[in-house]
Amino acid sequence: MSRSQTPTIGHDSNTVRLSVRFARLIRHREVGLLLLITLTSVVVGIKDIHFLSFEVWRDILVRCAPTAIVACGVMLVVVTGEIDISVGSLMALLAAVMGRMISENELDLSCWIGIPATLCLGTLIGVCTGSLVSLGRVPSIIVTLGLLTALRGLTTLMMGGENIDRLPEGLTQLAKQGLFGVPISILTAVGVIGLTSVLIHHIPLGRRLYALGSSAESARMAGLSEVRLKLFVFGYTGFLTALATIVDVPRLPKIESGIGSEFELLVVTCVVVGGVAISGGQGRLIGVLLAVVLMTMIRPVLTFIDIGEAGEKWTRAIQGMFILLAVVTDSFFSRRQRGSEKEHAA
Amino acid sequence: MNSMHDAGSSRSFRWWHETVIGALLVIVLLVAGWLVPGFLKPQSQLLLSRQLWEFAILALGMTLIIITGGIDLSVGSTMGLSAVAFGGVHAASGSLVAASLACLATGLCCGAVNGALVSQLRLHPLIVTLATFAAYRGIAEGWSQGHSYSRFGDDFSNLARGSWLGVPLPGTFFFVMAIGFAVFLAKTPNGRFLHAIGHNERAAKFSGIAVDRIRFWLYTMSGLLAGLASLIYVARFDTAKADFGKGFELDVITAVVLGGTSIYGGRGNILGTILGLLLIHETRMFVSRYWGSDELRSIVIGCLLIVAVLAYQLVSRRRRS
Repeated sequence: MSRSQTPTIGHDSNTVRLSVRFARLIRHREVGLLLLITLTSVVVGIKDIHFLSFEVWRDILVRCAPTAIVACGVMLVVVTGEIDISVGSLMALLAAVMGRMISENELDLSCWIGIPATLCLGTLIGVCTGSLVSLGRVPSIIVTLGLLTALRGLTTLMMGGENIDRLPEGLTQLAKQGLFGVPISILTAVGVIGLTSVLIHHIPLGRRLYALGSSAESARMAGLSEVRLKLFVFGYTGFLTALATIVDVPRLPKIESGIGSEFELLVVTCVVVGGVAISGGQGRLIGVLLAVVLMTMIRPVLTFIDIGEAGEKWTRAIQGMFILLAVVTDSFFSRRQRGSEKEHAA
Repeated sequence: MNSMHDAGSSRSFRWWHETVIGALLVIVLLVAGWLVPGFLKPQSQLLLSRQLWEFAILALGMTLIIITGGIDLSVGSTMGLSAVAFGGVHAASGSLVAASLACLATGLCCGAVNGALVSQLRLHPLIVTLATFAAYRGIAEGWSQGHSYSRFGDDFSNLARGSWLGVPLPGTFFFVMAIGFAVFLAKTPNGRFLHAIGHNERAAKFSGIAVDRIRFWLYTMSGLLAGLASLIYVARFDTAKADFGKGFELDVITAVVLGGTSIYGGRGNILGTILGLLLIHETRMFVSRYWGSDELRSIVIGCLLIVAVLAYQLVSRRRRS
């Protein structure tokens, strides 16, 4: 990787060498996450071998898919030093719009109209967010906070307290069974991950995003267009949110106005746990994806170790503790490098 | 507060934002008074104000935190956990005093955990409070097992429903606190340090400000305020449930930012926050009275937030150039 990811460690005395080495290994967040995922699977697998079965993991991956798709976009947003906390509400709005258009009980339009329209709407809202952030100079957390509230209200208003069901048979079939036995959401997720990876590693655009995130000033001096880059990342996130909606929502029995609530928090959490610096300029896709798997795993794992009715209610607490643990461990191990790190977090 | 002299700023009139928000507030009130008969009557305003005080108390702490460039997303969850602590202790001991103390102590502890993580481990506040946002709510849900506690007696509910000299008790309480916070922020060295930290943390550190210690106490205080808000909320509804305070954090941040506190830190004051709170509150009450729709309310608030900050950015950029 061309980014200066390798840490330079000042200490060289024998006493600290071992721990530094360990720290360096753990510092690759991916290693830690992978260890955690493997360890959990093995432990749960020993208790109940069914956990390691194909069906269970297929189910986990299906649950991962929408989060992974959207996380690809939000990760790029965070890399440029901005944040997007509106994806959950956007998903709900898009689901409502899509449902209204293609449900057999509603407008009953063809999927060939409904799906592209949903994609366009998602991208459009993303671009609007981006232009407010870049042209209007409104901090992204404010814009997306406002949208989080406003879009959710708009969705509830649109649904009018009723649920939308009876999506076209073809779409639900595709979502449930998929192509050649692979659920469509997983296929889409793989496609999006590939696309994002190419974008980051093989196209100048990706490098520019990192440049913008590490120092907006230098990026500007190097002649990069901040406006264009930000329009792109937000537009991309909007597009991916629409995509995630299209492949995931038909899986559900009906569309409710509560769809995607707290989804934004899950996505941001995955991005952060995956090692993307919240101040921008740093982070790898693979870390984010592992974090998505880890966070999604928690619920199935809890079902498998059978914590009972009372334990069920503790799921969120355990999830929260997990995030806290991930963040704290990371800071603990990366503290040694803090000295050399830039401290001018914008 | 007029004596504040910011070295970095050259604006001649520094109450610009407050003026705009105040003007907006007046417009909303006039429109509301015109369209909804009786909206401006003191009685109905007092009645409506009941829904304001918990937010208002949280907003005070949030203002200070955002001035230092931080954020606290966990206040709503802390409220839920404190409420459950109140209910749990009350169910176990039957004592209201013990329950109230437990409620406040829970808030304090939640805040202290945030503070310790932010100041000692130097984690980004957004990350820390995002994690504790999930954790506190989860603990509240696990602890209460979806159970809701209620019937704490009339004396207790009168704490939130009663009034003193015509002002609701929580309101009196809020105003006393608001004055305290405003004086602290504008007139005491520690208060001024908050602005310094928000402007440039590094410079603040090098000039000898105990940034970590201030940070720690800020978040602890925010937690305590959440405990307090929770106590009022519980008293008002005479119920304690794990989902109390859900979504409060966003509304509180909206109010603070609308009140002119910069989300990047370094700028903001209590007067602005109070105006922001009132603007949101009145808009909300007006919209839900006039159209009778809660959904519309959130659309209006969301748009208001974006438009207000956008307008401010556009105008202030023009002034600078």
